Amino acid sequence: MNTTLFRKFVPFVALLGLGFTACQPDLEDDFKASAGTADFSRYIAVGNSLTAGFSDNGLYLEGQLNSYPNLLAMQFKEVGGGDFEQPLFNENQRNGSGYLAITGFDNTGNPIIGNVAANAAVGLGADKKTPLLAKYTGTGNQNLGVPGIRIADITTVGYGFDNPAGFNPYFERLLSNSPATYLQYVQERVNTIKPTFFTNWLGNNDVLGYASSGGTAAPLTPVAEFTTKYGQMLDVLTAGGAKGLVATIPNVTNVPLFTTVPVAAVIASIKANPQIPNAAAASLYIRTGTNTVREATASDLLLLPARSVIGTGGSATTLPVGVGYSATLANPLPSQFVLDATEVANVTARTADLNAVIQKAAQDRGLAVFDANAYFTNVARFGVITNGTTNTAAFVSGNLFSLDGVHPTPRGYAIVANEMIKAINARYEAKVPQLNAAAYRGVEFP
Amino acid sequence: MNLKTLLLAGGALLSGTAASAGGYQVTLAGIKNNGMGGVGVGLSLDQAAMFYNPGALAMVRERGVQLGGNVTFARNAFIAEGGNTQRELRNSVVTPFSLFAGFGPAEGKFRAGIAVYTPFGSKLQYAEGWEGRTSLTDIDLKSIFVQPTFSYALTDKISVGAGLVVLAYGAVNLQRDIPLPDSYGHIELDGKAETKLGYNAGIFFKPSDKLSVGISYRSKIDAQVEDGDVTFSNISPTFASRFQATKFGATLPLPATTSFGVGIMPNDKLTVGLDVNFVNWSAYRTLDFNFDQPINGSTTSSSKRYYEDAFTFRVGGQYKVTDAFTARIGGAYDDSPVKDGYVTPETPDADRLSGTLGVSYGFGEHFSVDLSTQFVRIKQRTQTFEQLQNNQTTDRVAGTYKTNIVIPGLGLNYTF
Repeated sequence: MNTTLFRKFVPFVALLGLGFTACQPDLEDDFKASAGTADFSRYIAVGNSLTAGFSDNGLYLEGQLNSYPNLLAMQFKEVGGGDFEQPLFNENQRNGSGYLAITGFDNTGNPIIGNVAANAAVGLGADKKTPLLAKYTGTGNQNLGVPGIRIADITTVGYGFDNPAGFNPYFERLLSNSPATYLQYVQERVNTIKPTFFTNWLGNNDVLGYASSGGTAAPLTPVAEFTTKYGQMLDVLTAGGAKGLVATIPNVTNVPLFTTVPVAAVIASIKANPQIPNAAAASLYIRTGTNTVREATASDLLLLPARSVIGTGGSATTLPVGVGYSATLANPLPSQFVLDATEVANVTARTADLNAVIQKAAQDRGLAVFDANAYFTNVARFGVITNGTTNTAAFVSGNLFSLDGVHPTPRGYAIVANEMIKAINARYEAKVPQLNAAAYRGVEFP
Repeated sequence: MNLKTLLLAGGALLSGTAASAGGYQVTLAGIKNNGMGGVGVGLSLDQAAMFYNPGALAMVRERGVQLGGNVTFARNAFIAEGGNTQRELRNSVVTPFSLFAGFGPAEGKFRAGIAVYTPFGSKLQYAEGWEGRTSLTDIDLKSIFVQPTFSYALTDKISVGAGLVVLAYGAVNLQRDIPLPDSYGHIELDGKAETKLGYNAGIFFKPSDKLSVGISYRSKIDAQVEDGDVTFSNISPTFASRFQATKFGATLPLPATTSFGVGIMPNDKLTVGLDVNFVNWSAYRTLDFNFDQPINGSTTSSSKRYYEDAFTFRVGGQYKVTDAFTARIGGAYDDSPVKDGYVTPETPDADRLSGTLGVSYGFGEHFSVDLSTQFVRIKQRTQTFEQLQNNQTTDRVAGTYKTNIVIPGLGLNYTF
């Protein structure tokens, strides 16, 4: 009887076994990566600090490793992309140019932001003020991001050459003591690497320099000049038939550098300050870009550093900085700490003009476009959720912006990379996989 | 929070509705029923009728004891929206069991019995660092129900019955990661459910040797954890002051189920059953927790579920090949109670299709063995970030889930 039983159960048991092995579901066939009509085998990235991986007001190894071009290259490997070389600081120079970090908390619980010293600095340049950085000695650089560069600078001879008139130390470290322009450097890289794909995110500094100085330095780049030079850059990049993506300029007035210190809150704190005589009649007064003194309004944007200036320096005969009762009885906040309403309008209008140039240049050449302006405007209003984690444009706590209030954190850069991938996939019918942005950090705490 | 129960068993956190269709649950009461697509409301197969339709118990000829055990193998694949990295569970196995004992006079009109079953034991452990880690990393739900049952034959054609359903033991362990600015912390919620009472009742009507019909109802039970333990880990001292809770409470509805079944016996050897279950899943609106101290600023949390009432359709049959040997086959279709954009990792649910097989072999007059296997295929289901945003359910993750479950079972019967 036992053998009969055994024989009867054998097929059943066999079926069971089959059931187990077939059990693990597999979705991978439904989500196969593909390059579509693009070719990602050789990729170069052109841009400024954002492209270099600048973060926390510095360029350092962790930021370089989390630069969006490096993240993109990692994803491109899934669809035929090759290795991607960056001008990395070495392990002993990991702090790079130095950067900002939270060093502790004050007694109200607010973070104290301090400096991490540079360890890639190698003395001063011929201008006796620009710190030189350890040279990149490789020959295969594919991340051509140079912090601080504007489109206006790309044809400037000696822009990266150590000379008494001043220079860009981030470009200087990429060149071997050459007065070459940035455009020439890019041309040389294109000739050597023969890229099949590129990204170009230049243009931000053509408005940011003006905005971050409260309208006191670095003029807004004229539209005609921008149009010419932007076109020159794209012509160099596309000459060999490479496909690519360009990104627009986010309106810098949406970033924490300009949004963390609201005028209304400052006015309220002045009016509530018992140290100020007749505080209820006092308010915040500013010096505008046209050298007039007036009460601040909600249309003026105070820069982040204004926090540590407003309310200081008062004495028996002097009002504290920023405090005033009228245009004539005031110690106005200096112009470099405020982007006044007129300046905000200038920045916004020029950003829109330059973005129109970028869109048109991309359209003429059939390139993908990441509209960073539209994206970050939306983020500033609603935040962005990455796999269940909420991120906002808030300073320190929002996860997206680093301690300089302008440059993204690794989380922010990962989100940028994903948005670029979406634009690339849409334009080139590709299926480049996105990365898990939530796996990248926001602001680092002690 | 116990929701975990689900995958296997279904899903409600603490949920325990044993008989429920769809959603959270794979019915795992009698091993014979398991082989027949889970039908049983319109049949009087054996002591497991206490679970399916207590009204049918009085019509079960034999008195006896039945011990059943199942082994559930759940395998899941997940790919986040936009990605291509497949995440698979850290696999685990759970072993729900059941015991049914029926007593009564050999020729009398009544039967009494006691049933013990674990309809919701289940467990899911997601891959380390998976995209949905802030929703869930691990869930483990255990429940034991005890059900004293009485059934009475009003005539030789109609019988009625009822059981007192006691949620005798329930335990839930739910874990997830907490997103901090520069790292992930971890929270573990661990608690025991309060003992709760519900009931089931049924009517069984057998107008002829060839036809029987049944209807049964199982009441809702609110599984409730009070005073569960909260444990945090991997939270740096900088953030520790925001995560000081030590106790939590939560409630999970185990919804009411109404079932209707038909049995057809064309001859002595063949029995065919058809069941329909209707589960009031709409009772499950939100999963709420309260904490003794604020967690990141709030002492409560609420997550939308918004389940919909759902049907399950079952069909199954058995054929008596010889006096000793019986073969079974069946299938079921569960309509998911989870709407698009509301899928959560505790219950990565979708419509599910099951196929079942079973056999029994009798060793003499009193002893028999049942074997069954259920193959459950939970359909591939994608929810997009846009859906999450529109539903304000962004506390979970967008992507595609697919799950298969295989559940072999073994039953031992002794009749007297």
